[in-house]
Amino acid sequence: METYFLKHEDILGFYERIDQEYQLLVPTKITAPLALKCESGINLPTDDYLLKHYSQLKKEEVAFNDYRCVEPIRTYFTHFKEEVCSYFPNDEKQETQTKPFAISGVKNCDLFSLKIQDFVFLGGNEPDTLYTQRREGALIISSDCPHFKEACFCRAFGIDPYPQEGFDFNLSALTHGYLVDVGSPKAKSLVQALKEILVPATSGQLSGRATKRDGVVKHLDEHLLYHKIPAKETLQDIVRHGFDSSLWQEQIQTCVECGGCVFMCDTCHCFLLADQPEGENAKRIRIWDGCLYKNFTRVAGGANPLKMRYMRLRNRYLKKFDFFIDTIGYQACCGCGRCIEVCPGRIDIRHILRRLYEEKNLQVKESA
Amino acid sequence: MNKMSTSSHTEKNIYQPFEATVVDIKEETPTIKTVVLKIRSNFSFRTGQFIEMTVPGLGEAPFTPSSDPGVKTSIEVTIMKVGMVTEKIHGLQKEDTVGIRGPYGKGYPLDKFKGKDVVIVGGGVGLAPLRSLLLSLFSDIDNYRSICLRYGARTPADVIYKELLPEWAKKKKVDVVTTVDIGDPSWKGNVGLVTTILKDLPVDMKQAVAVVCGPPIMMKFVTLKLLDIGFKPADIYLSMEKSMSCGVGKCGHCRVGKFYACKDGPVFTYEELKDIHDIWD
Repeated sequence: METYFLKHEDILGFYERIDQEYQLLVPTKITAPLALKCESGINLPTDDYLLKHYSQLKKEEVAFNDYRCVEPIRTYFTHFKEEVCSYFPNDEKQETQTKPFAISGVKNCDLFSLKIQDFVFLGGNEPDTLYTQRREGALIISSDCPHFKEACFCRAFGIDPYPQEGFDFNLSALTHGYLVDVGSPKAKSLVQALKEILVPATSGQLSGRATKRDGVVKHLDEHLLYHKIPAKETLQDIVRHGFDSSLWQEQIQTCVECGGCVFMCDTCHCFLLADQPEGENAKRIRIWDGCLYKNFTRVAGGANPLKMRYMRLRNRYLKKFDFFIDTIGYQACCGCGRCIEVCPGRIDIRHILRRLYEEKNLQVKESA
Repeated sequence: MNKMSTSSHTEKNIYQPFEATVVDIKEETPTIKTVVLKIRSNFSFRTGQFIEMTVPGLGEAPFTPSSDPGVKTSIEVTIMKVGMVTEKIHGLQKEDTVGIRGPYGKGYPLDKFKGKDVVIVGGGVGLAPLRSLLLSLFSDIDNYRSICLRYGARTPADVIYKELLPEWAKKKKVDVVTTVDIGDPSWKGNVGLVTTILKDLPVDMKQAVAVVCGPPIMMKFVTLKLLDIGFKPADIYLSMEKSMSCGVGKCGHCRVGKFYACKDGPVFTYEELKDIHDIWD
């Protein structure tokens, strides 16, 4: 993979060039006046980042995000609510040509999640047309995480806080600029137009990046020690074993069924097809759905396999850690911690997985 | 963008239904109607596959056609009024337009039934998809040892295909027994749950398969009964009623263990389902 160096002051030039061909989204910072120290004594940042259109931002508002943005990346590939068809077109609707989008600030957790979304929407015999168009058109500019939030736990599942594949460009922040990895033919075709600001990276810069990456990993691993999150190899066993655990009923007590965990989740993909409005101009709408809602599995006539709230919480874990491991070989959780931050009931996936692990292994010891 | 599949932009929109015209509506019971739809020429389905039927502006719901897949110009769908979409469908008139997507799912594996005694157990409106299966079997009857239909409805008024059942009973190699949970003075047949007419089936258990479709509670007890009389879990075929929205394994609603009912089913063997929790709920 080719790697270049980009000076700090040239990042806007880099974005400028990309914005000519794409609708570029870049992170902006939302400062939070909070100080947080984790149990290992590490200062944890509390600021947040949101993606906004580059063309609508002032230069000073463009930020490098130290960790993942607030919104899940999937929101750009399947919109929360969108029209998917109308009744009944006489001939194939002409797609209006708009510029594809580019997203900067994508992190490795987000890239992991895109693998799940790709499996769902590109996979099978019938790929989703809208998703395919967006995914094929999009330019993904990922970047290393120089910091992490309290809720971040990617490393618990062996996902590193820096991307090594699945991007078009990847940015690694160094003291005086960025290393730019070129990860796809699409990115490579842009390099020519950026040659005035991209210079080949030196071995010193590359080893400097490696040191920085190791440092972040070391700190994150220290932070995660406290949470004792079970290793990914155990996930399927512990959720299966915990099917009849009282943990689900205990943990669901504070759930207000807001759906925040599923809508902020970057690996969740469920949706509902609905029609509106009634009458001649009816259109079919696809809207994100969530398995924590009581009607998620209800069928006409009223039968509902997930009628109790605790069943729906358990179902979420079975989907992520049993179904997906069976189906594609890895869990549908990237460790971004968005569900932890959003939950008003403070239901914490790290805690639930740890408890499931302890329940299984304590019982094994007792019976031994 | 590594590892991307190479799909083209001209692929069809998987959420777009095509038009179908209502050509006839038959009342089966006060709450069940059979809708006959004229379909575009290139549509076909295998028995047991399902379609999504759309009432534009209101929504869509999954149904398994009840007609013979061999008939290419129209399909029949027998529908019980249980919700918003089905209520609207019951109000349809001839010449009205609905939308169809599909067919979806795998349907009945007829190859595995060849040369065997096929026991078909239906409950209530669950006879609808089984009618399509029966018609498929009738049209190729020489390839099956026998067909044994056992049908139960709640009351005599809830029996569907009232005129068809006696006709089917007259066919060669076909044995039909019906029952109702609660009889009335006009009913001269069996009274009792469908499980009560599964004793002494005129079949060779070594080469018989069973196909069950009905409400979940009926499927549960029929399955237990079939196991009890000697059917192997791999020879019991169940139609799983789940909340199927997209039909193509993407929307997540119809998950059953490691399967999606829409693309891996909706017909499963009990062998595939028996270790999954709460399948009857």
